[in-house]
Amino acid sequence: MITLNGIVKRYGSQEVLRGVTMSVARGEVCVLLGPSGGGKSTLLRTINGLETFDEGSIDVSGTQLIGGDIASREAALLKIRRKVGMVFQQFNLFPHRTVLENVIEAPMQVLKQSREQAVGKAKELLARVGMLEKSNARPTSLSGGQQQRVAIARTLAMQPEAILFDEPTSALDPNTTAEVISVMQDLAKGGQGMIVVTHGMKFARSVAHSVHILHSGAIVESGPPEQVFENPRHEITRGFLMEAN
Amino acid sequence: MRQSLPLLLGLSIGFILDISAFGQDNSLRVIQSKGALVWGADQEGGGPFVFPDEKDPSQRVGFEVELAELIASHIGVTAQFAQGQWDKLPDLLDRGDIDIVLNGFEWNSGRAERYGTSIPYYIYELQLLARKDDDSIQSWDDLITQPGGRPRKMSLLGGAAAEDFTAAFAAEHKTTIELALFDGVTDAMRAAELGTDRIDGNVQDLPIWNFYRRDFPNLKPVGPPVGRGFYVALLRKNDRQLLDSVNDAISVGLRDGRLRTIFERYGMWNDAQAMRALETSADGGFRGLVQAEESNSTRMAEGGSETDATNRPELSSSQSLHGLKVITQRGWFLVKAAMMTVLLSITAMPLAVLIGLLMALMKLYGKWFVSIPATCYVELVRGTPLILQLYVIYFLVPEVVKYLFPGTHFSISAFWSAVAGLAINYSAYEAEIYRAGLQAIPKGQMEAALSLGMTRNLALRRIIIPQATRIVIPPVTNDFIALFKDTAVCSVITVVELSKEYYIQARNTGAIVELGLLSAFLYLAMSYPLSLLAGRLERRLGKESR
Repeated sequence: MITLNGIVKRYGSQEVLRGVTMSVARGEVCVLLGPSGGGKSTLLRTINGLETFDEGSIDVSGTQLIGGDIASREAALLKIRRKVGMVFQQFNLFPHRTVLENVIEAPMQVLKQSREQAVGKAKELLARVGMLEKSNARPTSLSGGQQQRVAIARTLAMQPEAILFDEPTSALDPNTTAEVISVMQDLAKGGQGMIVVTHGMKFARSVAHSVHILHSGAIVESGPPEQVFENPRHEITRGFLMEAN
Repeated sequence: MRQSLPLLLGLSIGFILDISAFGQDNSLRVIQSKGALVWGADQEGGGPFVFPDEKDPSQRVGFEVELAELIASHIGVTAQFAQGQWDKLPDLLDRGDIDIVLNGFEWNSGRAERYGTSIPYYIYELQLLARKDDDSIQSWDDLITQPGGRPRKMSLLGGAAAEDFTAAFAAEHKTTIELALFDGVTDAMRAAELGTDRIDGNVQDLPIWNFYRRDFPNLKPVGPPVGRGFYVALLRKNDRQLLDSVNDAISVGLRDGRLRTIFERYGMWNDAQAMRALETSADGGFRGLVQAEESNSTRMAEGGSETDATNRPELSSSQSLHGLKVITQRGWFLVKAAMMTVLLSITAMPLAVLIGLLMALMKLYGKWFVSIPATCYVELVRGTPLILQLYVIYFLVPEVVKYLFPGTHFSISAFWSAVAGLAINYSAYEAEIYRAGLQAIPKGQMEAALSLGMTRNLALRRIIIPQATRIVIPPVTNDFIALFKDTAVCSVITVVELSKEYYIQARNTGAIVELGLLSAFLYLAMSYPLSLLAGRLERRLGKESR
């Protein structure tokens, strides 16, 4: 469903992505691992156009982004963002809206759903992430874990084919991390495709279909989690796993 | 220092003793001891009275400059000029900043009551002016008519005799003539020539018209001059000694022909002066007021109007009013003017905020060909004073339109010029406030909105601008209160709001303190609730987002 082909991104003379090629199938749960500064988040953000890239191409269900091409980008991005949602490290809920309003905003404004329809769906999703009773709360009155669960419901409301998770638990304490991980695991088991950038090994071991190790802007090792975790072939993977454990 | 302190003390005591010894009036001695007679006048549009010398604009010329020198040399001192806005000159006199006002101030009973008035140094007349292409005004009587049901509108120098005369003329003929009051004579003539804000004509002191007529080729004099009156010097009421010397200087100057020489130099000498010179020279004093006013009415009758000398209203409406009486009689005028202040503010501020937001968005999110013009706009508007912007909109824009589209008649009313000026001026500040507000919204908000499939415009409209608006409420409120007070500047383009009405009423009654307090109270009564409202709004919106 998502194919990245030779993605190169430079900041001035420094290459932060050095020809990344990978693909993710429909319904696949893909985890990007690796040391900080390896380009995981940057790679994730190129997929839905929050970052530009200089060379290579990205294909999302037949919509293409070409490196360095600015002119036709906007129209392509609108299509891609309808298919690919995103959950952020800092949640980025809209502080001037209630929990429910956060969830119904895009379905009503972008998909032109009726309020009734959007609210019905939103309540169903908020129930699914365990946040229904906080529907009328302001985001700033919630804990980090609660905010992240609302953010997930907000993304789900757009019925994306895949969701990009950008270090979704890095801003959370261990207790609330668990509630978010469990929501994500439920989604993965329910067949929701996702690409997850994380430092948390547990999630990768339990539900991931594939794991990619990124180092210095390049993928050094890919494979199913059992293989990568049990029989790491690459020096950097071994070092990273030792540190993480 | 040790020695100079007792000396200083001695001098001060001597000074105090001096006052007690000679009573209150040592005006002449004070001037002689400082060696200069400080005389106040307005050189803005001041020809032929006082105006910058073409050869050396730092120097002033004009018949009053020479008159001041004549008076000063009579006292044995030098003449020292002090610039002041014409209608505020008597206030400068009251404050003690100047010793004497010499600037075409017409004698009237109100002024005579409040100030020491000299014998006249010139007899003036008023001239009605209209546009050459306007055949509907052939005489004063045509001002009574209201073509299309609309009253005639005259541009006038605020506080001058022409204002009193025109108002009295309208009252006498039971008609309405709208008066657009300007702070400068040339502004008033320019507005009449351009037909700005539907102004039909101008009433001007004859010497001024004669001096400036070449600058206004599209104006014509209508009918013979009317409303003869007297230019007198104004002094503080108690400065009797100085007044006597000034009167003496004028009398001597009239008798020995030096005044005549001065007036001839400026093309101002006429039969009226000669006649008055005879009257005055009989006993060296000024006795001719009554006869002159009568002959003035006769002149009006000759001019084709149906004036009945016995029914003629008092030329001057000026009178001394004080205390509670002035509040009850004139307070309502101030309250009505306060409404204009409110109307200007609440019309201009939303426009300013809208334009400001638009400019901020263009600056922050536009491509270079959008952001650079927006930046230029903000810098240009922020870098120029409001008063100049008002002038440009009121005077220049109609002229440019006329130039670009010959034959069209385009004019912006004073009110809408003021609204546009205030809105444009404040929009530059609102743009910067909004820019700061927009930049204060975390980047993640836009990213989240885009990730949900929103377009950039939709994200701005639904997510970013609403949050920025909450942030900018306190500084925007602050600016609203500032704009509210800046409406006072709009009086330069004839909008009569609270401050202008205060000047008009205070000048008219002399109740500077009473009406000043009332005006201050009205401003406070309007701005304080605004602060409270803003505070509530801020707290409510703050609660929503925190």
